[in-house]
Amino acid sequence: MTLSKLATDDLALFGGPATFSPPKSIGSLANPDPTKLLDYSRIFYDQHRYTNNGPVNRMLEDRLAKWHRAERCVTFANAFWGLSLAIRYLAIPGRSEVITPSLTYRRMGEIIASAGMVPRFCDVDPETLAQTEETTRQWINRDTALVLGAHPTVNCCDAAGLERLSAETGIPLLFDSVESAFETTKGRRVGTFGRAEGFSIHATKLINGFEGGYLVTNDHELADWLKLMRGFGIPEEDEIVCFGMNAKLNEIHAAMAMASMDDLDALVERNRQRYLAYRELLAGIEGISLRLFDEEEQTSFKNILVRLDQKWPLSRDDTLAILQAEGALARPYYSPALHTHKAGFETRSGYLPVAEQISKQFMLLPCGDQMGRRDITVLVELLGFVTAHAVEIGKALNAVNNLEVRTGYDPVAVRRETPLKESHEE
Amino acid sequence: MKNELGQFALLGGTPEFATELHVGQLYFPEWEQYEAAMRGIIDRKYYTNHGPLIRELEARLEDFFEIGNAVTVTNATIGLYLVCLALGLKRKVLMPSFTFVATAQAAVLAGLDPVFCEVDPYSHQMTPATAEQALESGVSAVCPVNLWGGSADIPPLEDWARSHNLPLFFDSAHGFGVERTEGKLGRFGCAEVFSFHATKIMTATEGGCICTNDDELAERIRNMRSNYGIRRPMPVSLTVNARMSEAQAAIALMSLEGIDGRIANNRMIFDTYRSALDTVPGVRLIHPSNVTRSNYQCIVIEIAEDLFGLSRDLLWSVLRAEGVRARRYFKPGIHRSIPFNTLYPQYVEALPTTDALCGTVLQLPIGALVTTEDAERIGSLICDAHAYADGLLACG
Repeated sequence: MTLSKLATDDLALFGGPATFSPPKSIGSLANPDPTKLLDYSRIFYDQHRYTNNGPVNRMLEDRLAKWHRAERCVTFANAFWGLSLAIRYLAIPGRSEVITPSLTYRRMGEIIASAGMVPRFCDVDPETLAQTEETTRQWINRDTALVLGAHPTVNCCDAAGLERLSAETGIPLLFDSVESAFETTKGRRVGTFGRAEGFSIHATKLINGFEGGYLVTNDHELADWLKLMRGFGIPEEDEIVCFGMNAKLNEIHAAMAMASMDDLDALVERNRQRYLAYRELLAGIEGISLRLFDEEEQTSFKNILVRLDQKWPLSRDDTLAILQAEGALARPYYSPALHTHKAGFETRSGYLPVAEQISKQFMLLPCGDQMGRRDITVLVELLGFVTAHAVEIGKALNAVNNLEVRTGYDPVAVRRETPLKESHEE
Repeated sequence: MKNELGQFALLGGTPEFATELHVGQLYFPEWEQYEAAMRGIIDRKYYTNHGPLIRELEARLEDFFEIGNAVTVTNATIGLYLVCLALGLKRKVLMPSFTFVATAQAAVLAGLDPVFCEVDPYSHQMTPATAEQALESGVSAVCPVNLWGGSADIPPLEDWARSHNLPLFFDSAHGFGVERTEGKLGRFGCAEVFSFHATKIMTATEGGCICTNDDELAERIRNMRSNYGIRRPMPVSLTVNARMSEAQAAIALMSLEGIDGRIANNRMIFDTYRSALDTVPGVRLIHPSNVTRSNYQCIVIEIAEDLFGLSRDLLWSVLRAEGVRARRYFKPGIHRSIPFNTLYPQYVEALPTTDALCGTVLQLPIGALVTTEDAERIGSLICDAHAYADGLLACG
């Protein structure tokens, strides 16, 4: 497979054939060995235990706790409800605000609101793209009930700094560590920072469990309560000891996660090769820079994040439209910044210039096993083609935009319908 | 058959069942079917986010229910929560306390206060009379529960709710495949929520669906469920993760395929229990109420201690010792459970019928792992417990 674009008209956005079919997404979509999935499935199948803290769930919890070098792990139907329940439990009673970065998972505000709390967004550091002790401290007030720290998609936030802030202020600290499941930061394994850390095993994440999530912690009391809360607050039959809901992980999803974990080290090595390929090839293109993994730390090399700087000839959004039309389902990185997004629930924020600026500059490129070396080569050639033909592309985009203004026809929106339906992003 | 008191396992005899029998349907596809389905998903590399199997499942469910919209969800609790949010409910929801605790937890999760009402002591279902008695200011909707494979007496409840200008939505977690003279459950009120938990007749291991003929409401729920599977974007108060995966959809599709066979099997077990228990004094088998066809997924008996000779709790202990893991659903009543008893103390002593049911009802095993022969033996154990009631009481 090579890039077969000779002229601007050959771009899929302007009517040419798409480069990637089926489309390539930014989700990992790890494919475990089906035999492994079936082997783990046999365990619950033979016991007729399909959910409710079944045998494979317990195996998975033990394995994940050890993997994170934590004492406990509690699985959930998905990371959303795991974090939501942890917020309910950890938030200081009588207070309403949870501080979280504005540049993070698009549903973070919803997670906080679903726990009956109000998100208060803070800014991020322009170098690490992550919240820091200082950007968080700035917004702590008498109504702060919890800090929900979040790691960026490449490398980690200063988790130890946030721990210091928590110790100093007495505000409990919880982490959304979904993008840092494999990482260490300053040599310490992600998993035991703060009171607890939340992770996802959604298919797009490092560990593919179809849907699912988990929290790890060294706090046994917290783990016990979370286990109760995910199962209606029922410890034994005929007893209800706390508020709860159904946020249990089923056994098939647990089996899938176990099967995915069996392939994890090999997957990370394949990710590293992909990352190195991207790094080598992107170095030859002006205006686009790859976000580098800190190779001093343990890292998954999973997410391919790039920044478009002033030398890049097109806007980030036009670039995305071109790539998506080609079947490379690149996505804007945490855009819009959460504090600029109109939510259907109460949010609080001040002036957060860095998050706002960064949310317009970065994009995630396709990753995971769906991207072979040749796919990466072709994708980078496509980016090279875009820079080489930028003037013509700009004119063609203008023509399209004028057509939109005159007729109300939105070809970008129409195109967006098709590929994104098949995209995989949590 | 116990021929003397000492043969009861509670008193040291050999348990009737070497392998424990559980309440809960626990039907599951054959291994070969399961294997083919999982291999198919891994081949397609489409794991979740409204994939082909979920789309097929929702279409098949819409045909099954003969309804405009079946929206699949992570589980029924989250389904009820989404209905509360999507209806834009404020302040309070009227519901029976004699239900699984999730009904009330879903409302609280949605920021609402439950207002608990009684149920009819014979059918165990909510009625207009029990609703009227509990109605208070601030109630913005009514959530009857279609219990035990029967249903509430729906048309009068609809009339009553209409007269108070209150929307009605149903917790139909027990109601998959149940039919009334007007048609299958699923079409009533603004919406009905079904459970696909492993213990239900329709299984996805975990899962559920929301049925509604209100296209606008359905679309709001789709927009709240996830970014995927939306037919028309619209502003909503909250978008959560309430998706079912392709794996769950695969199980549900196979489960739907075999629904009639499972109902027939449940029916045979129900009939066996009925024959075995018909003449036992103080035991009343609850017949699914107000329906033309039940799914028979629950075997529920009520124990009248004065006639049977033993309390429900003592019979429960007798059966447990024999390997029959009967369940005292619903014990304790929600209004007496944490945190509802402290958040809403006004209901703790206000629901005598519910309290009485919570003290007398027992659920018996039925489903994939229970045969008609097992049901006969369990019936026989209950007969024997009655026959030896005085002795058991003296020892117990």
